[in-house]
Amino acid sequence: MYSKNAKKRQADFQVIAQWVGEGERVLDLGCGRGVLLEYLKQTKGVYGVGVDIDFDRILSCVKRAVPVYQGDAHEILASFQENAFDRVIFSRTVEQFEDPDATLREGLRVGKRVTVGFVNHAYWKNRVHTAVRGRRIQNEVYPQPWYASLPANPFSVVEFEDYCREKNIHIRNKVYLAGDWRNERKCLPNLLAGYAIYDLSK
Amino acid sequence: MNDSEQAVTISAEGEVGIVEAQDFVARTRFEFESGGSIPELRLRYETYGYLNAARNNAILICHALTGDHHCAGVYSMEERKQGWWNFMVGPGKPINTSEYFVICSNALGGCQGSSGPGSINPETGQPYHLDFPKLTVRDMVRAQVLLLDALGIERVHAVVGGSMGGMQTLQWAIDYPERVGRYIALACGARHTAQAIAFNDTGRQAIITDPGWQQGNYTADAGPVQGMAVARMMAHITYLSDVGMESKFGRRRRSSAKEHFDVEFEVESYLRYQGQSFVTRFDANSYLYLTKALDRFDLHSPESLDATLSAVTAPGLVVGFTSDWLYPPQGNRELVEALLRVGKDASYAELEMDYGHDSFLVRAPKLYQLMRNFLQR
Repeated sequence: MYSKNAKKRQADFQVIAQWVGEGERVLDLGCGRGVLLEYLKQTKGVYGVGVDIDFDRILSCVKRAVPVYQGDAHEILASFQENAFDRVIFSRTVEQFEDPDATLREGLRVGKRVTVGFVNHAYWKNRVHTAVRGRRIQNEVYPQPWYASLPANPFSVVEFEDYCREKNIHIRNKVYLAGDWRNERKCLPNLLAGYAIYDLSK
Repeated sequence: MNDSEQAVTISAEGEVGIVEAQDFVARTRFEFESGGSIPELRLRYETYGYLNAARNNAILICHALTGDHHCAGVYSMEERKQGWWNFMVGPGKPINTSEYFVICSNALGGCQGSSGPGSINPETGQPYHLDFPKLTVRDMVRAQVLLLDALGIERVHAVVGGSMGGMQTLQWAIDYPERVGRYIALACGARHTAQAIAFNDTGRQAIITDPGWQQGNYTADAGPVQGMAVARMMAHITYLSDVGMESKFGRRRRSSAKEHFDVEFEVESYLRYQGQSFVTRFDANSYLYLTKALDRFDLHSPESLDATLSAVTAPGLVVGFTSDWLYPPQGNRELVEALLRVGKDASYAELEMDYGHDSFLVRAPKLYQLMRNFLQR
């Protein structure tokens, strides 16, 4: 079976950290065990708040001294005023939201900037996997079989960029990572990027 | 192998053992927020563990409405009943008395040794009864401040409390930010909901309309015992949950019922017992004063919740319990949402437990871990 890959899990940290200013207010929706926020606190001195639904992950955040809120991302966003945070981060969480459009737009209301990181499901290996094997992708990033996975709504680089265009969301920056989630890939991102990270604003 | 050896091998956790309550007396007038005053202040309290040389390892525990200062240990070897938070407080326990100096005082207005409506007014030699000044949560906290001053503790490592204790904890963090290192508020809220006030007033009416109450001037041997028992029975229901009661009692019956309205169901027996035993350990006027203080507690006032919580500087942890319908998770969440809005270091965790409002008093490894992580971070 596949075990989770810690390096891959933290692939977008450095890219996100580049976009975060010193001492900014950061909200990380789907913060997991608070590793990214701890990193941003150490490297950028941010005031970071995490949100996650799972109690065990909350335990880890509390241990890391990362302020954290156990609950639903959409619900907590509703409690914040406009531009309450300098940056709202969605790192590998958008595909699991019940209403991704509504939550992203709430993120853009609450954050001056929004960071979205996601797995590009049109990456060529993913296409080949599905085409050749006729099976759902199962690898180190998605270690669980379909019946043990959370409902997910996978999408691709072009689909996300179409969405931003349609909703007039401004893409300030973007970084495409290759299949190893390390090296940058500039050309043919929809085919060659395994992971994409966007810096967005209204 | 004797018992004590066995205890050591079974677990790294220990017991605080035999404890003794102490009395703090301040012989200067204590002024209440309402404008009233009493000639002297008494607080009964217990401590566990040792204050370090730097005097910075104290944890103050604030008890719930009908709780008391006896949160850990026993008073004698023969006694079986331990303090109300015994599993939480002790050597190696989440509130580790090998590391921290733990203080718990009986709330001002209470009836287990602290100044309250039932205590003797030194100026008249008679109980205060309803001459006791109107009480607020802030008054309770101010009384504790005097106790900490007397103990030579400038700043506590943490203030911890559930329910009414949670409200005191929040008040501490708001009123004395420089004296609070961090705080944990369990199963509480920024203010009572209409439903919570409704339940409290129904209880108060049961007491006040009992002829034994006598406008609050009852004597120790004849008080509003029926009213108190009914108030407690009803309040006790609000501390449990639908699911919890169903699994604990269901429709189980007792075979002894003969008359139509005798105790028939187990749940009736349990609640009647709770009501009866409450009468012997709690003072009716204290109950009236304390519930009123809780109903009036409102962090949304005078301006807004955000404005009130702006005064907080300490990191905080608020814990809600899914089955708590007296102080529902929503009210706990609201606190943290406001704290985060005003840029504070605050966390919210929610535990899925079936024990209703009383969940924080129940053995729960997840809660232990959470408290350990927060106190040690």
